[in-house]
Parts: sequence; structure tokens; C-alpha cells
Amino acid sequence: MLGRRGTLPFLVGPPLLWLTLAFLLPVVLIGAFSFRPESGPVDIGGPGGFSVAQYGEVLGTPAFLRLLGISVLMAMAIAGLATTLAYPVAYFLAFRAGRRATLFLTLLLIPFAVSYLLRVMAWKLMLGPEGTINSLLAFVGLTDEPLDLLLYSRAAVIVTLVYVWIPFAALPIYAAMQRIERSHLEAAADLGAGPWARFLRVTLPLSLPGALAAFFMVFIPTVGEYVTPTLVGGTEGIMYGNIIQGFFTRSANWPQGSALAMVMLVITLALVVVAVRLIDLRRLAT
Amino acid sequence: MPPRLHIGRFTTLLAGGGLLLSACGGLGASATPAPEPDELLVLEWSGYEAEDFWTDFKAANPETDVAFEFGDTDAAILAQMQGGSEADVFHFYTGWQQFYVDAGLVKEIDTSQLTNWDKVPEEYKALGQIDGKQYFIPWDWGFTSILYNTEEVPEVTSWDALFNEEYAGHVSMWNDGPGAVAVSAYVNGWDETAITDEQLAQIEEDWKAQKDLNAFYWSGEYTDLCPAVMDGTVWVAYAWQGCYATALYEGLPVAYADPEEGRNSWVGLYGISADSDSPQLALEFLDMKLAELTCGNAVTLFYYGCANADVMAAIEDPILIEAFGVNDPDILETTNFTPPVTEEQRSAWTSMWERVQAD
Repeated sequence: MLGRRGTLPFLVGPPLLWLTLAFLLPVVLIGAFSFRPESGPVDIGGPGGFSVAQYGEVLGTPAFLRLLGISVLMAMAIAGLATTLAYPVAYFLAFRAGRRATLFLTLLLIPFAVSYLLRVMAWKLMLGPEGTINSLLAFVGLTDEPLDLLLYSRAAVIVTLVYVWIPFAALPIYAAMQRIERSHLEAAADLGAGPWARFLRVTLPLSLPGALAAFFMVFIPTVGEYVTPTLVGGTEGIMYGNIIQGFFTRSANWPQGSALAMVMLVITLALVVVAVRLIDLRRLAT
Repeated sequence: MPPRLHIGRFTTLLAGGGLLLSACGGLGASATPAPEPDELLVLEWSGYEAEDFWTDFKAANPETDVAFEFGDTDAAILAQMQGGSEADVFHFYTGWQQFYVDAGLVKEIDTSQLTNWDKVPEEYKALGQIDGKQYFIPWDWGFTSILYNTEEVPEVTSWDALFNEEYAGHVSMWNDGPGAVAVSAYVNGWDETAITDEQLAQIEEDWKAQKDLNAFYWSGEYTDLCPAVMDGTVWVAYAWQGCYATALYEGLPVAYADPEEGRNSWVGLYGISADSDSPQLALEFLDMKLAELTCGNAVTLFYYGCANADVMAAIEDPILIEAFGVNDPDILETTNFTPPVTEEQRSAWTSMWERVQAD
């Protein structure tokens, strides 16, 4: 029988190998591309070259940095809204759904059965000039003409992405709430705490690590979003990820796209590190 | 860039088998050419994989395995070929010919083997020639001009309609740097093949100022632009004639401008990869692309022109006649055909466009 040390390589090995090949290696490659001098597709087998010119171009173009800032703010807004809206859903599942929690959890996950692209397209139809929302507004007499601002705007990107992320955001919050000892709530009640006091003094602090995990789970991928802005954002809703995508596809300028991606990666990681340092999770959970 | 050493799977098998037989004392110095695999890989644009667009080849070669891989821009198609794509045949548009030849990615075509070649007008044949050699087969073609809603916009006579602030929120420009440079060159009367740095800086500022007029930049004619023209979001658009024909069939109040600067015209070209394992089959595929039924499908299903002049001459549908300007004998005289661009221009123009988008 294998001991603990003997089983460790079998448990850790496969995921480690997968992460190395499917995550770490591509990141290293993108990092290497970003230091190439050419302005076209990178010939991996061709002669090399080292240059920081791509970073000079990125950091020397105010429009790129401004758009990165806008994208970070949009991602924060989306992550904040998705987490806030997901919180009551998770609370209901953990404390109110009872034996039907599994059923409701399954219902929550049903949207994942539909393609991400289709769900975003559905929003495009709903927000369009002949879409559900404009039709409803016209039907009840609130508008004479379709509202242009619903689709092809930054607001449309935020609304759509919040919708997309709510089920994801609910999961880590739900997991954190499930770990809360019910005896803590009973003890609080015995000591005279009302429902609000129990929530504010016990449930909320103990579930905050899950809420923060949800926030970052939404924030990190949203900074580099490009599909949803492409479909519903119009020229106003363009995000930093669209520019990265453009350099890799329309421009076939892989080194420049790689430098843009590395700058985004560094900024995003820096923000996460700063946030984690500022928020003492252990103190929150005690 | 030097041509890449490309060893296809079939070649590898042949080489391995040959070595084995040689080791057994067989084969000797036979000069019999190896048979081609009965399979083709086509690097295409999404939508062109539909069997309607290679139906003659399918009918002649029902057992051949034809597979497709896709690129969504000319840059992506070139990048895939440069990146070692195993495609036998690739499809791209005018302006990008020289890159494939310079990189050694394309095989010269023996047009004497093409049964439909005599149906292709000389002007189109010339687009596929570099240094007197025929490297590419022209296939689909069309116009670019301003598509506009006649109920919202008075007659459009210039490309500068795309910059008219009266249509703010209802304009849509193609998401493409070289396309933007071409429009600016038309509007300013500049030679688009000789844009200076100062002119490019002016172009960038003009498009940055124009950005907020757009509802969105479109990428797919039928997926992005046409639905927005149909639902009334877009009144003025940089557009190909396919969307114009679609809108006419839907009975929409639209027109397709004849700008005083002239329309633009583009031609789709096919090349055979220099590393193709099936060059003969690829040649037959391209010949069949020019055949009557396949070319006709491009015209009637996609509303794109086709390089088979007989097919174009046989168009009777009044909407298609209008869309292709078949009844206007002067239209080609005022049309600006997309010129080739250099690597420096391509890089500068596409980077300029990304800065415009980020602004």
C-alpha cells in the first residue's frame, strides 16, 4: 500500500502536467513573443531577436493605457454587481432552500447548458431597437421611439456580463456559507441577537472570503473580455481585450498583441495582490 | 522569410515505407511519382465551406475528403500559412498577393490544365499574376461603397458620408485598417499606395473623430452589418454589395452609392500551397470553383460576383443586376481596385486602426 508520500505524485502529477502544458507554457510563449522585434506572426523556428520596442509602443500609447484603465474599472463594476446580486442567491441556497437546495442549485446552473455565445446573442436581441425591452417600453407607452443607448454601449456590456457571471459568482459564496457552523448562529440568537444582527455579525463576516473569491473570479477574466464587447458594446464599449484580439487577428502582429497581454497580466495580478494584502481575510473570518 | 520545410503525414508515411522497402532490397531507383492522397485541406473564410461553393468538385470527386480550416481576416489567413498550415488551398483577397510569393508559400499554377480558365476575364487573371507568373486564381469579387437608408439619408455622393455628424450613432465602418486608409485616401484625393507618415497621422485623427458616429465597427457582413441595416440601427455603412442585395430582397428603402471618388472593388483569390501534398487535386478543386454551377451559387446565394464571365453575363435577376451594376457600362472606369500593400504599409495601417479603436 502506498504511503502518503507515495500517492502524492499520482495526485498532483497529472494536474500539474496539465497546468504546465495548457497554462504556464502558453503564458511563457506569450511573454517570449512580447520581446520579439518583428511586427507580424512569430516564426517560432526562425531566427530570434530581443527587443523591448513592443513595450515601448504599448506604454507610449496613451490610448492603450487609458483603455486598460477603463477596462479595469468596468471589470470592477461588473465583479461588484455580480457578487452583490449573487450573494442573496447563495444565501437562499445555503439557509432557506433546505432539502430543495440541490434542485435550486441545478436550476442556477442551467444557463451553463446553453452556449456562452448564444446567451450573449440573446441579450443583443433583447437590447436591440426591436428587442424585448424596447418593445415593452413602447407597449406601455413610455417611449415613442426605440432607445438607442440600450445596445452598443458600455452599459450593455456591463449588464450582459453581470448576467453571465451571477451563477459563477454564487458558487464560492454558497460554498463559504455552507461552511458556517449553524451553532454560531444559534449561539448569537441565544445571546439576544436578532436576525439582522446575526447576519451582520456572524453570516456576513464568515461568508466574506467566499464573496471576495467570487469578486476576483469575475474580475480577473473580465478585464480581458472581448467577445461580449464585440457583440453588444459597439464602438463605445470596446475593451482592452478587443485591442489584444485585433493585434493577433486583424493585424497579425503577435509581438505587439503579446506585449499588450503581458501588460494587462501584470496590472491585473498587481491589483489582486494589493487587494489581498489590504483585506485581511483571516481577520474577517474570525 | 525562407520557405518552411513541411513534411506532411502522407509524405512521412511514404518516406518511412520507402526506407523499409529499400532495406528489404526492393524498389530500387523507381521514378514512378507517388500517388496523391485523395484528400484536400482548404484554408477558408467561414461560410465558404458550404458544399454549394464547391459543388462541381464534389460531383466530380464524391469520394474525396475535403476538409476546411478557417481564418477570419486576411491577416489571419496569411499568419496561418506562415505558421505552417497544412492547407493545400488558401483563399484571401486582393492586396495580399505579394506576401505569399515573397514568403515562398504559393505554387505557380499551370493554367493550361484549367478547363474553365478561358471564361475568366483578362483583368481578373492579371490580379493573380506576379512577375508574369500565374500564382493565384481569381474567384469571388464585389464592390465596396456606401450603403444607406434612403428614408433617413439624402442621396450620398461621396465617401465622406461616413464622417457626417448628422448620422451619429447610425454609421457603421468595417473593422479594418487598410479599408479605413482607402476611404481616407478617396476622400482626400490621396494616392492610397503612397500614403506618407503625415497623411497617416491625419487619417488616424480623422477616424478617431469619426469613432463616436458609429454604432459599431462591423466584422461580418451577414452576421453584423446586415441585421443592423434591417432593424434600422445603421443608416450609413461601408458595405459590400452582398448586404445591399440582401436589403433589396427584403424590400428595404436602401441605395448603394456611386461616390464621386469612385467605388472600391475587391477580388478573392485562391492559391495552392507550395507544400501541398495534393497539388493536382488542388488544381482540379480550383478549376471546379470556376465551373458554372459553383460560380452561379456564389452569385445567387451569397450575392458575390464570380470570375466566370459567362455566369455573370447570364444574370437576369433585376436585384442582382442592380447590385453588380451590370447595366452601368461606366462603373468599372470609376472604380478603385484594391492595390497591393507592402509589409510596412500593412503593419503601419493596422496598428493605426488599433489605436483608433482604443481611443
